[in-house]
Amino acid sequence: MITDERDEVIDRAARSLSALPMVNPMAVLEITAAAAVHRSMRPARARAVLGWFRRPSLSLASTGLLMAAALVVGFVTRAALTGAAETLGTQTSEHPVLTPAADAGAASRGVPVPMVYDAKNARSVTVVGDFNSWDPAATPMTRVGVDGPWAATVFAKPGRHVYAFLVDGTTLVADPRSPRARDNDYGGDASVLMVPTP
Amino acid sequence: MTTRTSLLTIAALLVAAAGVAGAQDARLALIRDNATRDVVNAQLVSASSMRLPAEPFVSKALEGVAKKATLKSIRSAMAALEKRMKTAYDLLGPSATVDELAAGADAISMGVSEKTIKQMRDRAPNRSIAMELGVITELVARGVPAKKAAAMMLDLMARGATGVQLTALGRDVQGDVAAGLKPDVALDLRGRGVLSLLPPPPTVSNVNVRPR
Repeated sequence: MITDERDEVIDRAARSLSALPMVNPMAVLEITAAAAVHRSMRPARARAVLGWFRRPSLSLASTGLLMAAALVVGFVTRAALTGAAETLGTQTSEHPVLTPAADAGAASRGVPVPMVYDAKNARSVTVVGDFNSWDPAATPMTRVGVDGPWAATVFAKPGRHVYAFLVDGTTLVADPRSPRARDNDYGGDASVLMVPTP
Repeated sequence: MTTRTSLLTIAALLVAAAGVAGAQDARLALIRDNATRDVVNAQLVSASSMRLPAEPFVSKALEGVAKKATLKSIRSAMAALEKRMKTAYDLLGPSATVDELAAGADAISMGVSEKTIKQMRDRAPNRSIAMELGVITELVARGVPAKKAAAMMLDLMARGATGVQLTALGRDVQGDVAAGLKPDVALDLRGRGVLSLLPPPPTVSNVNVRPR
């Protein structure tokens, strides 16, 4: 019974196939060859991505992506470099010695102005002002001799500047040698420095 | 959302994130208090949106820290600075340098009028007037009436006074006032001294006026 049923199925398939038009074997060969050639001409993955970026409709996206990547790399590098600079600044503040590196780029920073402050009992003195963004680590002073005054050179651009001395890292003191500056924002003691055009 | 739109959105977000990261100045690490640092960062973003430079704001914030100012005081000082900087920007123009804007803001703080600052800009439209602004600020700070200081400064600028002469004038007036001289008298004396060294003011040309 089973054999008969199979034969019937095969017969039906044969009848269906025989109803189809005759296939030219050469045409089949040509189609297969053309498909192979088409596959071989398809661009590689990298070329496809490049093409994707070259398409005019994608220029904005491509530009944005590249800009973002460049910015991210730049900011990561900047953060790493800034961290290194901060570390150096901390070390300098612990050992307040003016090194040649501290004088590098002086011309771009402004006119050199010597600062002197008498504070015999102070353990450390730094100059803070708008010329160094009130950064206590920017301009440490060094003691002249054993009990001498504290001295440093600041670099300020021509014009009016406000500054003070930070004694022992805690106490802000105005320069007794300079006129006082009135501070409408915070109050407190500060001094005025007028820097002439070089 | 298509692939391209997604990539474009991601790119925009990355650019925005990088911009925020850039707005955070490394020196703000000197501010130990997180709340204060947040206030300063917010102020920097606000200033940036108004095309104002960050440097004077960072300096003002660190000045507050150095003077042990409260958070409220720092916030108030920075808001006031932003207002002054914006005014200075409007008066000095978009080509003004950071130093000019900071000096202009200082001058406004000390009571120099906006009209005077604009006139000073007009006297020297193509160069920095940061030093001139600093000198007039100092004159007013020493007690010279703002109008008198403005008249002298504009006269000196019109006559071509140099930066060295103007700075010397400011320092001389400082010394005279400290010695007890009245501020306006000191300015008169010192100002006339500088003017005597300068060429006479340009006269109005009469070449186009026909005699009757």
